Amino acid sequence: MTRPLLSLANIEKRFGELRAVNGVTLDIHENEFFALLGASGSGKTTLLRMLAGFEIPSSGSILLDGRDISQVPPNHRPVNLMFQSYALFPHMSVAQNIAYGLEMERLPRSEINQRVDEMLSTIQLAHLAERKPHQLSGGQQQRVALGRALVKRPRLLLLDEPLGALDKKLRGEMQLELKHIQNTFGITFIVVTHDQEEALVMADRIAILKDGALLQCGSPRDIYEYPIDRFAADFIGIMNFLPSRVDAGALSAADGSRISALLPGDLKSGDNVLAAVRPERLRLGAADAENCLSGQIRAMAYHGLDLHLHLDTPLSSQPLMVRLTADAAEGHPFAVGEKVTVGWSAHDTRVFTV
Amino acid sequence: MTDRKPIYLMTPALAWLTAFMVVPCLLILALAFFQRGTYGGIVYELSLDNIAQVFDPLYGRIFLKSAGIAALAATIAVVIGYAAAYAIASMPRRHQPILLFFAVLPFWSNYLVRTYAWIVLLNREGLIVSFTRAVGLEGELPQMLYTETAVVIGLVYNYLPFVILACYAPLSRLNPEIHEASRDLGASEWTTFRRVTLPMTVPGIATGFVFVFVLSIGNFVTPALLGGGQFQMIGNLIYDQFLTSNDWPFGAALSMILIAIMMGLLTLQTFASEKASGQQRSEKVDD
Amino acid sequence: MTNRSSLRLMLLILSATFAFLYIPISVLFALSFNASGLPTAWTGFSTHWYAALITNSDILGAALNTLIVAAASTFSATLLGTLLAIGVEIRRRRGHFLETLIFAPMIIPDIVLAIALLSFFSMLDLRMGLHTIIISHTVFNLAFVCAVVRARLKNFDWSIVEASSDLGATTSITLRRVILPVLMPAVVSGALLAFTLSIDEFIIAYFTAGPGRNSITLPMQIFSMIRFGVTPEINALAVLVMTLSVVALAISQRLNRGRLPGQ
Repeated sequence: MTRPLLSLANIEKRFGELRAVNGVTLDIHENEFFALLGASGSGKTTLLRMLAGFEIPSSGSILLDGRDISQVPPNHRPVNLMFQSYALFPHMSVAQNIAYGLEMERLPRSEINQRVDEMLSTIQLAHLAERKPHQLSGGQQQRVALGRALVKRPRLLLLDEPLGALDKKLRGEMQLELKHIQNTFGITFIVVTHDQEEALVMADRIAILKDGALLQCGSPRDIYEYPIDRFAADFIGIMNFLPSRVDAGALSAADGSRISALLPGDLKSGDNVLAAVRPERLRLGAADAENCLSGQIRAMAYHGLDLHLHLDTPLSSQPLMVRLTADAAEGHPFAVGEKVTVGWSAHDTRVFTV
Repeated sequence: MTDRKPIYLMTPALAWLTAFMVVPCLLILALAFFQRGTYGGIVYELSLDNIAQVFDPLYGRIFLKSAGIAALAATIAVVIGYAAAYAIASMPRRHQPILLFFAVLPFWSNYLVRTYAWIVLLNREGLIVSFTRAVGLEGELPQMLYTETAVVIGLVYNYLPFVILACYAPLSRLNPEIHEASRDLGASEWTTFRRVTLPMTVPGIATGFVFVFVLSIGNFVTPALLGGGQFQMIGNLIYDQFLTSNDWPFGAALSMILIAIMMGLLTLQTFASEKASGQQRSEKVDD
Repeated sequence: MTNRSSLRLMLLILSATFAFLYIPISVLFALSFNASGLPTAWTGFSTHWYAALITNSDILGAALNTLIVAAASTFSATLLGTLLAIGVEIRRRRGHFLETLIFAPMIIPDIVLAIALLSFFSMLDLRMGLHTIIISHTVFNLAFVCAVVRARLKNFDWSIVEASSDLGATTSITLRRVILPVLMPAVVSGALLAFTLSIDEFIIAYFTAGPGRNSITLPMQIFSMIRFGVTPEINALAVLVMTLSVVALAISQRLNRGRLPGQ
């Protein structure tokens, strides 16, 4: 493998007693769309601000193209940030906002004008070039913020909750547009987000942060299908957890029934564990499956594309969630209180220590 | 942003304040402990005589009198100012800024001019006298100008706009739903005012009162013009020490006492508003 | 307040307050146009008291002095106060001592500041005159400018400062191209406030002007005229001075409200 574009080694950031970032080591490659995913307080924003240069790591190094930039001030880094609040200059027009960063590089006027014009057409705002930021919609402001950072052709573009302020529908469109723009420009993007769906949709790779430390890093599929622990499993998507105990190479559930799973090697008989299965892996009426169980419908939620059933089962005090596609639910007039049987296979069962 | 850069921005102003406010004030503090020479001037011998002299019954009376007048003016100003602020806050939202603007506007005209206006009104040949004559009231009106009443009226008049502003701020920030909630829970309009609105607007009242009191007790212009030298307040006393009797050390001692009173009151006021804002913060948590 | 009687009470309170606030001023205003200049009788409309002002060289000299003092102290206070405000707000840590120092000039009784500066200047054996008034007015004016600018900075989006730095600007470029333009309405508003305060300030000027008639300002002139007795010229002068400060304040208020949207 070639040298990574960005290489974080053992980054730490302390604010007094608080360790906001605690020993993060991470490589990010040229042209990658990378997501830093975490809840608030996970240290993701602090990490991003260290990459931008607004915070200096307490220890550790940040290598960009092999050069340690951890002490370089923000205005001397080939890294740009798209701010969560967009941070557009309120007294400048759209075009002036975009030109600002190029003016700082003391480029000739003609080149600045040309690059600003190109960027305006890329972000489809050429017709609003003379508007002030407050005359734009949220989505338009967001595109100006993106264009203003992108026009500098940074080695690395950082995006802090880029879609957080947009409504749901616009967010979906912008996710695809961001991916498209990243592809066209061939610039490495690092997105900070708390929205797992956003990370799954956009990123090539995702790093989950928890309490300032790196919990798991991998492709969206890895992260979704093979969460490293209970926290990661719960954080991404929905997961049914069934408390159980290891018993002679298999699992026995709370009511004594057996759960088939591929057990990790390091478990001993008598260990308390959680068996876990995604709602979409449960199939209706699959009496032939390796795991099979019946329950009573407690509640139903119709989502258009799919139908969620919450079942009361003897396996857990928490209702079991089943997600049926519209196809699978077709022709079943489910009713609350009805008994149904669901099944799932052993290789869809994950096992986590408690 | 590191913490070092702002220093350069702040340095010129802080240097200015140090040279022309802190040092002069320290100088006054030091002066208070020296003595007046026989023919004026300053004798650099440490003594507590000036401080003791402040508490001499002769000057003590002036202090008490000043404090009394200041407290009276502050009380009247707060009562009128709170009522006016309450009235403004109960008008439709869109009219409030303009009402407030006109309530505060006189505050920005010249202090001397505003005081002078009352001389014109209260004068022996003034408007009020002419008016009562015109409506046919016979008999001699009591002397109005150059009385204590005139001084109090002048102080209230001059500082009322500020009190309105100070009281309006917390009143306008009150969530109207809190008022409605109290009414919904069965309280009368008056009980709601007494138990809900008034306690939540104490900081504004405290600010208004302290402001008027502090500015009044050290006031020099109003007693000089409307009191007509009939009686002295601390401000005039300090003025006299510096510009007529030439006893700077005693004048300095008087100023220090004035500052001490002021700082004491401001501390009290900070305490009152912190207590009240603490209450409001806990209400926010309860939401 | 929905019911009618309480609305009527509120309107009554408002009318009474506004009457109390505006009748004295209006009387002055009317008198200044009264031909006789006396409150006893209206003898016809006339502007000759205003004309009399223009020919009074004492008043003209005082007015000129006032303008010099106000302009100079406003200039220095705006410069110092704006930089101070930015410096204080950029700092994340707030020092109690610093806050008190900045707040003090606004609340210290003016008689105290006046005698302190008088003692200070005479101890330095400084010849007093307009320049010492300017120095003294700058003290409280810079605190007021600072307060106005800080109020604007309270809801200032600091991320635009970071954005500027992120896009390659140095601190001084950011100050010049981002912070100051965004703050400009507040700076101008603070300057107008300072100008108004300086025009009206009497006690500190009175103590720091030094002896002689050369450095008499308009409020000092008005004070001695009032002490001398009620004369028709004061009415006209009072109305002019009042109008000047009110106009400056109105502009200042307007600017402060017309702040850039989107902030």
